[in-house]
Amino acid sequence: MVSGTAQLLVCRGLTRQFGGVVALSGLDLELRRGELLGLIGPNGSGKTTFFNVLTGLFPPTRGEIVFDGAPLAGARPQEIHRAGITRTFQRSRLCLDLSIFDNLAIGAHQRLDHRMVFNVLRRHDLAREADATAAAATELLEIFDPPLARRLFEPMTGVAMIDRRRVEICRALMSRPRLLLLDEPSAGMTGEETTRLMDDLLEVRRRFGDLTIVLIEHEMSVIQRVTERCVVLNYGKKLCEGTFAEVSADPEVRRAYLGLA
Amino acid sequence: MDLLAQYVMNGVMLGLMYALVALGFTLFFGVLDVVQFAHGDVVTAGAFAGLATYAGLVLAGVESAVPQLVLVVIAATLSMAVLGAVLGRVLVLPLKGAPPLNVLLATLMGGTALRECIRLFYPGGSQPQRFPALLPSASWSMGHFTLRLDNVLMIVAGGVLVLGLSLVLRRTRLGLEIRAVAQDEETARTMGIDFRRVVLLTFAIGSALAAFAGVMHGLYYNEINFGSGLLLGVIGFSAAVLGGLGSFGGAVLGGFLFAGLQTLGAVALPFASAYKDVFAFTVVILLMTWKPTGLIGEQLGERV
Amino acid sequence: MRTASAGTRAISALALAAVAGLLLYGFLATESEKTVGLILLAAVVAVAGGLRSGVLPRLVHAAGAGPVLGALGLSMLALIITFHDDPFVLLLMARALLVLVACLGLHVQLADAGVPNFAGAAFFGVGGYTAAVLGRSDLPHLLILLASGAVAAAVGSLLLLPLLRTRGHYAALITIAFGLLFRTFLEVNDTLGGPQGLKLGGLRILGWSFNDDRQLLGMDFSGYAFYCLAAVVLALFAVALVRRVERSWIGVALDAVRLDETAAACFGISIGRWKIAAFTLGNALIGVAGGLSAMMVGFIAPNNFTFQESLVLVSILLLGGLGNLAGLAVAALLVIWLPEKLQPIQEFRYLLFSVLVVLVLVLRPAGLVRRTARRPFGSVAW
Repeated sequence: MVSGTAQLLVCRGLTRQFGGVVALSGLDLELRRGELLGLIGPNGSGKTTFFNVLTGLFPPTRGEIVFDGAPLAGARPQEIHRAGITRTFQRSRLCLDLSIFDNLAIGAHQRLDHRMVFNVLRRHDLAREADATAAAATELLEIFDPPLARRLFEPMTGVAMIDRRRVEICRALMSRPRLLLLDEPSAGMTGEETTRLMDDLLEVRRRFGDLTIVLIEHEMSVIQRVTERCVVLNYGKKLCEGTFAEVSADPEVRRAYLGLA
Repeated sequence: MDLLAQYVMNGVMLGLMYALVALGFTLFFGVLDVVQFAHGDVVTAGAFAGLATYAGLVLAGVESAVPQLVLVVIAATLSMAVLGAVLGRVLVLPLKGAPPLNVLLATLMGGTALRECIRLFYPGGSQPQRFPALLPSASWSMGHFTLRLDNVLMIVAGGVLVLGLSLVLRRTRLGLEIRAVAQDEETARTMGIDFRRVVLLTFAIGSALAAFAGVMHGLYYNEINFGSGLLLGVIGFSAAVLGGLGSFGGAVLGGFLFAGLQTLGAVALPFASAYKDVFAFTVVILLMTWKPTGLIGEQLGERV
Repeated sequence: MRTASAGTRAISALALAAVAGLLLYGFLATESEKTVGLILLAAVVAVAGGLRSGVLPRLVHAAGAGPVLGALGLSMLALIITFHDDPFVLLLMARALLVLVACLGLHVQLADAGVPNFAGAAFFGVGGYTAAVLGRSDLPHLLILLASGAVAAAVGSLLLLPLLRTRGHYAALITIAFGLLFRTFLEVNDTLGGPQGLKLGGLRILGWSFNDDRQLLGMDFSGYAFYCLAAVVLALFAVALVRRVERSWIGVALDAVRLDETAAACFGISIGRWKIAAFTLGNALIGVAGGLSAMMVGFIAPNNFTFQESLVLVSILLLGGLGNLAGLAVAALLVIWLPEKLQPIQEFRYLLFSVLVVLVLVLRPAGLVRRTARRPFGSVAW
């Protein structure tokens, strides 16, 4: 048993059922502080459901979640965000009617002053807070793509798909989370774009030292390159965990993924 | 006891009327995930179409009540079937991809346009119009309660219509196609079902039912009013929602439930039976707060 | 973002206001329906041309919203003075402004937070009835106006729980049902005057009665001039408030709630809190407008607050382009003034508006003018 302080997240027996469908079944998972964990498995194996349960979109049917010593199972998404967990979505969920800045400001919501009096009457202070937020947004975007950072106030509609994914990741980073959940961030990207994205992600990790990341990916080369450890899911259950080399050699994993006998 | 019988009779009549309107709402929602808010005004338009037919028949010298009744009902249902299909084609189908509130708004406004057309262009439309008594006026006295033949006939006819619709949906090929489209549009299309044809026919059927309800309304109250469709539409929608949008049985249940609420309101608040609508709508709001998608709710799922 | 000098800003603002003022003057003053049509055409051409060429947005941007609003206020003042003894025109102006304020409330609810409200006229009525009932006491009238807003907000709060639990057309049904039951309740209930309604004494502030005609600066002013002035003040306040709310973190939060509740929740935004805030603020604005309107007209009755009237308010929002404040103002003016100025369409106005809205929804669902992304409200030029 590892001592409590190194464990950022502990999930025990996490189960989620939708009617007759068991999307997650008795999942035990632990995350060490600062690690980059890969979460892999065939389609429908429960990876996104795990994220959804973790971020409070669905309460677990059974099981517990302990984040940094505090129980989180069944908490509302807003409370979970406050605790320091943020995410991106498999199907990009950005507000296309808004500007890049507005979308990033949504990510920073909890750190901004929302009082009516402040926003309506103290306009100078509001302007200064907006400037500070814009500066933080620019700093984040520049890690991924400096030209994108210069388009901060443009509407999202004019932004290309790959940039949208970058904006989505930055939105999740605006609140300086402790745990970042990335759901197939490189979907739809070319190999080169993916490599670049992962480089940028590692740079983010270097800058924000205590950031822990869980990465859902289908690209095995990415998992192999950036993750320190991975967990394989199948039919909602944990099949195996270890380094990429270890899990890719596991016969059960090979059977689940490649259908080999 | 007699008063109770009177209330029950009332309640059944109204329930049937509301059920017919609610069925339209639920059918449209089933095939298109859409709320067609001009439906209530189609009820009124149906009644006026019937009235106009009657006036025409009288002018043409048709005196006897039976052909009058038959032709009025046929004219009303056919004309509204066409109107319903037109509304579907012009207002609803073009807005298929748009946010759902757009369709609600478009059909609300479409209903207003229809209502205003009746008010402006039907001779004397802004005043309540007398609706002829086309049904036999025989009645039986049982103590203080009078059982009227015309009410019985309407209830039977309405019941037959509801059963008929149920049979169409469950036993005919068209019914199968409608249910297939309601279940899953894409799969239905791949199976070779002509989506637009099914949608337009559904609109026609739903609107024909509305026309029948409109004629019923006119025969029951002996008068019609250009604005009555609005309240009927909201009631029909509420009834369909209570029973769960998309559910046949739910729409019928909802119709009778709303009529029951109104009756309960009238009984419980005898000092002002006008409060019955206030009572009924308040209960609807409370029920929807408790069960946001109806008592037999629709299952809302969202892929995250 | 402000690179123009104070002088340029003032001149741009005054230029815009002058053009608007002249068009409005022409529209209001003329008796001939043909001239009305011509002025309308000229205005459409000017605005469309200004928008297409980009001149109009740039002029507005250069001036800055504050100066433009102030200049428009001056225009309205000029118009009030011009029509000083014409109660018909003054009443028309005041009505349009109060409807604008009500629509601003609706705008915050629907266009910003995505909460549908098909009972706008009912809340307008709540404000009016509050003013009528409280007007019989000795409360100062400014307080009564505030109370009109507060009571409308309080009545609206009865719908909060149902509205938070439901979505889309279910939420719409709740407000429709409420509007209907409110009106029925008023008609049946005799303590609030029943179908006859209630009478109100006029607005009095510190002993100054708004109902009286007065002589000022050598001219005869109809009492309505002062109501009109009050309406201008209220409208300017409401526009400034709504605009500031939109261009702030509150506006961003409301947008997030409207556009994607799930994502918003995952970033810590409380859906309930913001929907409640928008619905309450909106109803408060609608209520205050209703209170002032009732005091101005002198009486209030249930058949002013029908579902049809609520639909007219929503139509104004849609015709102006959902989310577009300038469009909203123009739509409010046209919807209120056109039927008065073009008598033939008076009877047909509901039909006309409903057909126009359907056309807008089917042909240009983004609204007649696209809603633009929020302009940044920081101070540094980016």
